[in-house]
Amino acid sequence: MRSRRAPTALDTEVLVIGSGAGGATTAAKMAAAGRTVMVVEEGPWIDPDAIEPFSLEEMVVKYRHRGPCGTLGAPPIAYAEGRCVGGSTEINSGLWHRLPSYLSEEWRASYRIEHFTEDVLDRYAEDVEQAQAVSLLPSAPPSSSATLERGATKLGWQAVEFPRVFKYDGRGRGVKQTMARTMIPRALEHGATLTADCRVARLLTNGDQVTGALCERRTDDGDAERVVINADHVFVCGGAIQTPALLQRSGIRGQVGSGLKVHPTIKIAARFPSPVDHAGVPMHRITEFAPSLTIGGSVSRKGHIALALSDCAADFTEALEDWERVFVYYAAIRGDAAGRVVAVPGLRAPVVSYRLTDADLSRLARGLIHLGEVLLAAGAIELYPSVIGGRVVRRVDELASWWDVVTRSTANLMTVHLTSTVRMGEDRRRTAANSFGAVWGYRNLRVNDASLLPDAPGVNPQAAIMTIASRNAEHFLAGT
Amino acid sequence: MLWFERQVVDRLMSTHDPRRRAEVMAYVDGTIRELPEHLRAAIGGASLAFGGWFSVVRPRSRGGAADPLVHSLDNSWLPPMRQYVRLFRGLVLFAEQELP
Repeated sequence: MRSRRAPTALDTEVLVIGSGAGGATTAAKMAAAGRTVMVVEEGPWIDPDAIEPFSLEEMVVKYRHRGPCGTLGAPPIAYAEGRCVGGSTEINSGLWHRLPSYLSEEWRASYRIEHFTEDVLDRYAEDVEQAQAVSLLPSAPPSSSATLERGATKLGWQAVEFPRVFKYDGRGRGVKQTMARTMIPRALEHGATLTADCRVARLLTNGDQVTGALCERRTDDGDAERVVINADHVFVCGGAIQTPALLQRSGIRGQVGSGLKVHPTIKIAARFPSPVDHAGVPMHRITEFAPSLTIGGSVSRKGHIALALSDCAADFTEALEDWERVFVYYAAIRGDAAGRVVAVPGLRAPVVSYRLTDADLSRLARGLIHLGEVLLAAGAIELYPSVIGGRVVRRVDELASWWDVVTRSTANLMTVHLTSTVRMGEDRRRTAANSFGAVWGYRNLRVNDASLLPDAPGVNPQAAIMTIASRNAEHFLAGT
Repeated sequence: MLWFERQVVDRLMSTHDPRRRAEVMAYVDGTIRELPEHLRAAIGGASLAFGGWFSVVRPRSRGGAADPLVHSLDNSWLPPMRQYVRLFRGLVLFAEQELP
């Protein structure tokens, strides 16, 4: 029940909204520098050891909307966001890939981003990597990952093992270093406070200054309590969907919410002659066609395999019974298209739209065929594409049949990487924030998350998000 | 969930265990309920439209194993109808495999 009492008032120097890769990094930096920091997170605090990774329970508890949501567009694209302390770092694969230097250079020149050279970014990346225990596997890769390497080798393609934010014990058992395990505890050790189950309804503004935030906090007895947090400085770090939505709800528009970038992803459920290791996500990626196309492996619990098998509308009963020999792989593209996030008055969730270009569809078809090639080369005996009407392929010469079936009405696509809705840079016509995340038109409002990336990076964006967040936080500390 | 949505979920389930069926139905119900308002409204609208259509044009059995209603949705010439059944099939499949 909504409380009708006057809102509780709290005060802080720095308010960080969101506790994912951007928010947690920001909070840890600020608190370590002696600032008074308050972090608010819409989702709950969940002990990182309490729930099995990638399980249905995890989806219900840690995901926004209890699982994937969808963009408006043809075809719709399923996407997922974390909604808990630690944000999407609690639910992702933990793969780590520094922003490629050719991309940072392209972005620096195109969006006129200051202090964005390879040297600068590498310095921050090294600090974050040390703090996050970024590392390669201490032993041989699981069979699901080795499959990609084997297929690439046979075709003469380049494949690499990506490092991950995993800390390994003496027996080689890895634990993902999520924000709830690393940056959030560091921020709290330095005196920051964290309020979970607290949704920011809107920012409070006075001219060109943000004075704080109006929040709804869920109390232990299930009531919603209104809270006003007064702050000298506000960092919005809710991710590429929630950050622009909050800014728009607060009357801050301009370029905010336009230019949404994703990595449209198409999948294949591949059946092999022998059982595949289903623990975790493969760490090998085929980078032969990067950055426009990347090939990798997905989470493949039995439920995910069932979903992937059902995507092509062929009979999959036998393959599902044989699920221990099936694994799901994907091809992800950097597309031409861009989407939009719009906060509609009266609706709690923003409307997210994204329309693929014809060229993107063609890239996806090409990606699907390349993925099929490498899986067959690696020994797969049956391939189920995530395309309605796509035939089940068993031989290389059958792959060409997929060229014409990837259409707007048949392709089943998804993404987990969302960026670029509050782009950074000094070119005011194309950006919503300056080179360090300060929102144009406001003196003390900053964004510090995936929204700032001017374009999709073509790889898991966590490294880029944390590197840029660290850089922006230091810039703030040096100037205030 | 709306009446037609329950019909579709009921026909998509493969388990015959009443307790399990109730758990799957509850999971789908909870997930649909949590969708953004505009998506929930669109699915609700589709449910009313498709439910109305299939109450007039009753799907016929094709002699195969597939349920006639599910078969009609799967093979519709309307992409939204195929997406509609795909959404519910995904939720049912995932729940059937992953519910403890």
